[in-house]
This record gives sequence, structure tokens and C-alpha cells, in this order.
Amino acid sequence: MPADGAAITCDVLVVGGGMAGATAALAARDAGARVALARRAPGSTGLSGGAVSVAHDPAALPDAPFGGRAGVVESARRIAATHPGHPYHVLRGSLDRLWTAVEFATGQLSSILAPPSGRNRWLLTPFGKVHPAATCQRSMVAGDLAEAKGVLAVVAPRGHLWWDAGLVASGAIRARPLGAPETRVVALDLFLWEDAALARPVDLARLLEAPGAAEEVGRMLAQRLPRGATVALFPPILGLSPGARVPERVEGAAGVQVAEFLSDLPSVPGLRLQRAVDERLAASGVTVLAGEVHGAAGPGAPARVGGREVVAESWVLASGRFVGGGIARRGELLEPALGLPVLASEGAFAEAGAHLAARPAASLTVRDSRSPQPLLSAGLKVDAELHPLDADGRVASPRLFAAGAVVGGHDQASDGTGMGVAMLTGWLAGRSAAAVARARPVLPRRG
Amino acid sequence: MPEPRRYDVVVLGGGANGAGAARDCAMRGLSVLLLEKRDLASGASGASSGMIHGGIRYMLSDRRVTELACRDAGYIRRIAPHLVFRIPFLMPFASRAEGATLAERAAWYATEVYVGTYDLYQPLKGGKPSTRLSAEETYALEPSLRPGLGGAVTLDEWGIDGPRLCLLNALSAEAHGAEVRTWTEATAIDRHEGRVVGVRWRDAITGERGEARTAAVVNATGAWSPLWGRANGVDVPMRPGKGVHLSLDRRFSNYGIICKAVDGRQMFLMPHEDESIIGTTDDDFYGDPDDLEATSDEVAYLLEGVESLVPSVRGARLTRAWSGVRTTLYEYGPTEDALSREHQLIDHAHEGAAGLFSFVGGKLASYRAQSEEIADRVEGFLGLAPRPCKTHEEPLPGGEAVPDPRELAERHGVPEPVARRIVFRHGSRARDLLLLADDDPRLKLVVCRDEGILAAEVVFVARHERVRRLEDLRRRCRLAIAGCGGLDCARVAAQLVARELDWDADQLRAELRELLEANWRERRAVLDGWQLAEEELLRAVHRGLGGL
Repeated sequence: MPADGAAITCDVLVVGGGMAGATAALAARDAGARVALARRAPGSTGLSGGAVSVAHDPAALPDAPFGGRAGVVESARRIAATHPGHPYHVLRGSLDRLWTAVEFATGQLSSILAPPSGRNRWLLTPFGKVHPAATCQRSMVAGDLAEAKGVLAVVAPRGHLWWDAGLVASGAIRARPLGAPETRVVALDLFLWEDAALARPVDLARLLEAPGAAEEVGRMLAQRLPRGATVALFPPILGLSPGARVPERVEGAAGVQVAEFLSDLPSVPGLRLQRAVDERLAASGVTVLAGEVHGAAGPGAPARVGGREVVAESWVLASGRFVGGGIARRGELLEPALGLPVLASEGAFAEAGAHLAARPAASLTVRDSRSPQPLLSAGLKVDAELHPLDADGRVASPRLFAAGAVVGGHDQASDGTGMGVAMLTGWLAGRSAAAVARARPVLPRRG
Repeated sequence: MPEPRRYDVVVLGGGANGAGAARDCAMRGLSVLLLEKRDLASGASGASSGMIHGGIRYMLSDRRVTELACRDAGYIRRIAPHLVFRIPFLMPFASRAEGATLAERAAWYATEVYVGTYDLYQPLKGGKPSTRLSAEETYALEPSLRPGLGGAVTLDEWGIDGPRLCLLNALSAEAHGAEVRTWTEATAIDRHEGRVVGVRWRDAITGERGEARTAAVVNATGAWSPLWGRANGVDVPMRPGKGVHLSLDRRFSNYGIICKAVDGRQMFLMPHEDESIIGTTDDDFYGDPDDLEATSDEVAYLLEGVESLVPSVRGARLTRAWSGVRTTLYEYGPTEDALSREHQLIDHAHEGAAGLFSFVGGKLASYRAQSEEIADRVEGFLGLAPRPCKTHEEPLPGGEAVPDPRELAERHGVPEPVARRIVFRHGSRARDLLLLADDDPRLKLVVCRDEGILAAEVVFVARHERVRRLEDLRRRCRLAIAGCGGLDCARVAAQLVARELDWDADQLRAELRELLEANWRERRAVLDGWQLAEEELLRAVHRGLGGL
């Protein structure tokens, strides 16, 4: 037996531990499979801002009131109908299961995520944008502009420069005609001592977890609340661990609902989410391996992950895009784990196929950053079963599935469907991988 | 429209020559208006290699340029010591002595003579004389060089922050009474009986229009001169050349390395401030100087040239490709490289615009001497008694009594690397800057960890350094241009500037968007490796969460 541990044989190997990989692993586990999950490091899920963005109506007019907008699934259908390269289009035959997938994934993470309602919540960001999300972390729910009544008090900690409450509030003021509540900025004497003034968001979140700190904030808030205030909106630093109950403690002392706005980077909510994912995987009996999968042969053949040998009936590749490392560009675009061709992108080269990968960066981008960028939307091309395709358009392996941002054809970082695609593809791929492993095993069975 | 004001001279263009000329004229007691249609140094001066080199490249064709440049490099070190740093260069020999052909031996000899001749000029700029290095010594100094080299000669040059050099000249001009208007375009020249009588301008931000009465106008608009001249009925002949540079995320080599491009042109890889720069292309450019981007072939050309000597450059993280258009004197025939870096002050009297002078050519290293020449000419034209030029003696703002960064770091409780960057950028003004942080401890927040930008620095430049747009901070303190692309710092800096300049949320968002767009245009041609992963994050934050 090798010193670094015995070889692992399982039904499903998931490569990647973000939202797509975790959903796939949990779905496969749910279907009774033995699951190992290999991940190199926390990926972009750990950097997310707290929103679970699934879809918002691409055809909605900017002045359409929140109440009159299409629901999440209907919005996804509209995206599928208008964006030919988008995974929702590729999976248009399975979109009726989008909601099941979202409910499954959010249910698995119910310790941290609020249950989705079917319509989008409208949440403020540090940039003063109103961001639609199917659901969000529990600590953010009360900040939904479509639901909040009375006056929304945006809290400005006097001692720290990181956030500008006026900028945050400007989003709600702009959205007033859409149904957003009245907004006031409330300055609190928070973080006034020098150490706190220079702390990064994670350190601030830890400060608020200390005994008595959240209660003190709540008492301060109670004294400053404007007339009619029903919700106090804080920067996204209300504790690193949900177990510390920082929002609840502030609420208790202030006598008003408390919420966080969404986070940019560095992101405390992202860390919380990644931690919740890890806890859920461990609790579900998924074997989590730390290490990179690189140059592997794929399902049925052994792969080395961090010094361990793993062999699995079927694989789900959920390794992310550039941040996750599932897709890379080293002079040209490539997929490092299995060497699959990078064929999908949106914009000018959507049909370029094999000619996409080697093009210079300047040709794969366009001047206006807001236009679709082929380079940033590059990834694997998959069929409706989520099998990655090879350069000839054939299924690379019937035992191989792809999920999440490694699937190309859409700008997952900014098109407002990133988490939805991760949950739908993860759920479908996890179930399919488990089904293939059960129906057509090729590995010798033990015990 | 307000009552027109009178000036002795109106200078158009806030590059090194325009700002330098404005300073010189103002120091001689002239009343000066400087108009710049964008920000200071937003043209060629801000896209230069960031060197006040003596111009060894020009020694063969233009020895006068080399001498002028070396002498002035010495002066610039004197007036802005904080902004200037040494860059030793290696000029490697392509092969080992044993196997060298006669032609290669001849080339070494020529190189040694070439560099040896340059040594004669080194004392003028305070550089060290060259040294001949054996192959072993060369590899000990620079292990990243490809194997098989026969040694190298060294060559001493000076690096500088080009945009800040322009800014300091403009600030000094202001301190001597000049009026500086950035983001203000000269829309027309008024003439009367063959003479210039005034300039009309328009503020691009407020839309305000105004008129200046003046008898003398200096056109130092660089690559914009031909277009501007045509609109104003004068001819400014020149041969514009586009130069592209690449930035690497770190100091990739210990020394500057002179390389040969595939077509035999000389180019370089050099450590510069906290990054490395690869430069430069030189191609005729007849496009719109307002619409300038590096192309993929230019990026490939630069990388290939460096790869011949430093193979590992292919694995380097490129952070941006930036370009500018240099102006060279008009000549038909010679290749771009062989064109003179000499300069010329064109008198437009024969076109019915007496009093209008266009500056063409020249180089950053000689900006001060060129400015002196302009000021002399303006003085002469106005019939004033000549007054001595003092621009080589009086320090630029911050150039006197430069403080010790370590001491400042200790006194104000900021990290020493940050203090070092601040002293580099601000010289003695770093003291006032850090006093802001003493008054408000929040301002000790390090906004950008790549460039060591303190919140206090953002506030300081917004207050004291002619900032009108957020993107001006790219040139004041290198905001958001490093590998991070503004992931951490762009929003926070925008919030600070908004507070200083009284922007509302919509303005803030519009400014942020402009800044990010300018960065994107420089990055998109070089997105690869980890920089591409960074781009994905930037997009998630700024497009996704910011809606920008």
C-alpha cells in the first residue's frame, strides 16, 4: 500500500468543489452513488457575493416594476430562446427541471441560503446597482427591495472607507419607481479605532463576532434609526460564521430587521458559502480530496489526485473556468484536466469550433467591454446530456459529464445566470453520472 | 461667455513639451494659459518608455541628440531626484568567443566602441561608465538569459515616471502664476491681419466656453498637431510613429536587457518601478491618435524579440499593452527607426498665423531643453528682454529635500514599502500627504496593494494635482493599471475622489466605468494565464455586481 493512502474506487468522481461540483456530488450521493470529489482549492464560488443568480428577464424594460417582472424559470426560458450558445439553450429540453435543481441545491445549503420563492429578489450592491437573484444568503433576505416596506436605513460605519453608504443607497433611490422603499443613510460610530479602520472585510467580520460586539452595534443603531425604519442594511460583514448569529444579535438589540447588501471582493459571504458547501459535502459522505487533476485519461482509468489514486465509473468535470482553472489560456485556450478541446464561446466566434482556441487574445475580445467577449465566454461545448464534445462534434465519452462554468458559450461571471447554470448542470450531471455508474459498471465491484 | 482674459502666451498640449514650455515661460514672468484637451500626459509623454535615456540609439545618426539628451538627463535628476531611478542595461553578445565568426567578432568590437563612445557622454547625466562582462559574470547577474552568450557590455540609463514629470511641470507653472486647464480643448485660433490674436476653448466636462486674448500660441499637441493644424488652416508636417509597450506584472529581470527584434531593430526588456516593460514598436501611424490600441501582431513582435534572449518571457504575466504616437520630423524615404529624434519649432507666419509656433519631434529626455528653446522663441517674438532660463536649477515640486521613506514610515505608522512608493511619486510633498493620514487614520488604508497607494494619496492628488476625472489617477498614482486591474481599489478610490470633487452617485459610476473601460482597452490584447483569471473576477465584480 502506498504511503500516501490507498487507492479509491467509487461510482462518481467529481472534479471541482464549487457550486456546480458540490451540487453534482450531492445529487449523485442522493441517487445512492459512492462519490469522491477532487478539488484543488476554493474556486469562484468562494468569491461570490451572496446572491444566487439564476435568471432575470432579458427582455424586461428597465422601468418595469419589480412586481411585474417574469419569474425565474420563465426568465431562463426567455434566455434560452434568445441566446443560442447559452447552457439554458443547450438544455432547453430540461429547463422544466431547473426549479427542481435550484430547490435541491439551495435545500442542501439551507443552513446558509434562504429558500427561493420563484420570483427574483432585488438586492443592493456596493456599486449602487440593484441585482436580481433567485435567492441569497439568509442574512440578506430582509434587504430585498421588492419586499421591504417602510424606510430602508443604509448603515455607514464612520470609521471605515471600504463602502460608501450613499453610493449603495443610490441604487434604491433609482429603483424607487420600480417599487423600492424609501432610503436613508445612517452613520454609526463603528470601527473608529485605528486597527479597525485599516482592517480588511474578513477581519471586520471577525470583530463583530466577538462577545458583546453585535449587541453594541444594535444599541448604537437603535439610537440612530430614522422614523419609520423597518430594515437596517449593513455592509456584508455580519460575521464570518452563520453560527455566530451576528445579524440576529444586532436585530435583537436594535429592534429592527437587519440585512447585508451583496459583497464584491474580498467577499465574506463567499467564504461563508464555501464553508457551508464543505460542511454539507462532509456530512453527506462525499470523499473530498485536495489536489489537482491534470492530464488524466478520464472515467474508468485511474487518476492521481494529491498523491491518491482514484478510479471511478463516471466523471463530472465541474472545474470552473479561468478562476477555477477548468479552462486556461497559455498561449492558447485549453482544458487542463482531460485535454478536451475548447470549442464554445459567444459572440463573433460562436461557430469557430477548433479554430477558436489558437486565436490571439485581441481577436477574441472586442473593444467595448460590455459587448459579448468570446474569450471570457470560452469553455467546453456539451450536448443536451452534458457530455463534452470533441473537435469533431462527437461525445468524448458517454461516462463523462460537464457542469458549471467549464461549459462555455455564456459569460457566466456577469450574465446573471452563473449559479443557476451551476445548479442545473450540476444536478443533471450528478444524477446522470450516478445512473451511468449503476446501469453500466465497468470496474470490478468490491463488497 | 466670460470676458476674454489676456495672456502673453497660450500653450496647447499638456505633454512634457507643453507643460515644460508653460513652466519656463511662467518662470520668466510671462502670463501663461495651458490648455490640454484631455489630461496631462495622456498622449505620447504618458506612453513613453519612462526613461530619460541619453539616446544611445540615436548616436549613429544624431550625435547632437545624444549630447543634448545626456546633458538634460543630468538636469532632470537635479530638479526631480525623487522621480528618477537607475536602470543598468546589459547588451549581450550573441555567441561564445571560440565559435565566433569574423562578422560576430566585428560586431562585438563595434558594440564596445559604440558603448565606449556613449561613455563620453555619461558624466553629463551622472551615469556610470560601461563595463565589459565575461559570460560567467553576465549569467551571474542575469540568469534568465538564454545559454550560449559570449558576455555583455553594461550601459547605464535613468528611468522616470513620465506622467508625473509632466504633472510636476504643470504644477510648477501654476505656482509661477500660469493658468492650467485640463480637459479643455482649444477649439479655434482667432487671427487678425495675419497675426494670432486669441484662442477659443471649450471645457469638455462642464461644456463651458471661453476666449483667451494672446499674441503667441505654442502648439505642442504632438500627434494631434496635423489634425489640429488642418482645422485651423495651417500645415504641421510630421511623420507620426506608433510605439507599443508591454507591461509585466513584476520585475522580470534584474537588469535592462537590450534585444534584437526579428527584423533586427533594437528593443528592450527592463525593470521599471515595480514592473518590467518590453518596448517598443515603431511604425508609421496615420490613424486617429484618439483611437489607439495595440494589435496582436505588435504584441507578438515584442514578445518574439525578447524571447530570443530571455526565453522564459513566454511564461510571464502580461498586464497591459499600451501605445502612444511619437512625432518625428517629416522625411520621405528612411525607415521609421532611422528617422531623426531632432526637433523643430515651425513658425506659421507664412500661413497668415504669425505668433503661432508648432513643436514637432524631440524626445522626453530633452523636454526641458526643448521647452527652453520654445520659451526663448516666444520671448523673442513678443519682443521682450530675454530673461535667463532657470528650469534646470529650480527643483520641480517635491524635488527639494526628499525625505527618507523609512523615517516617514515610522513616524506616520504606514508600511515601509508604501512609504517608499509615496516618496518616489511625491518627493518632499510626501510629508504633507502623510499629514492627512495623521488627521484621519482611515486614510492609512492601503487602497492598492500592487502599487502601494494609500487612501491618503488618493485624497491628496484629488485635492492638489489637477484631478478632474477618475482616470486622471492612472497617471497620478498608477491607480488600477497593475495586474489587479482595479479589483480592490477602483471602487474605493472612486468613492474618495467623489467626496473630494463633489460627484453624485451617477457621476461616480460614470467615472468608474470610464476608468475600467480605459484599462480594458489596454488589457484585452494580452489576456492570458492568470491575468485572464483576474479578468474573469474583474468582470464578475464590475459588470456583474457593478452593472458598469
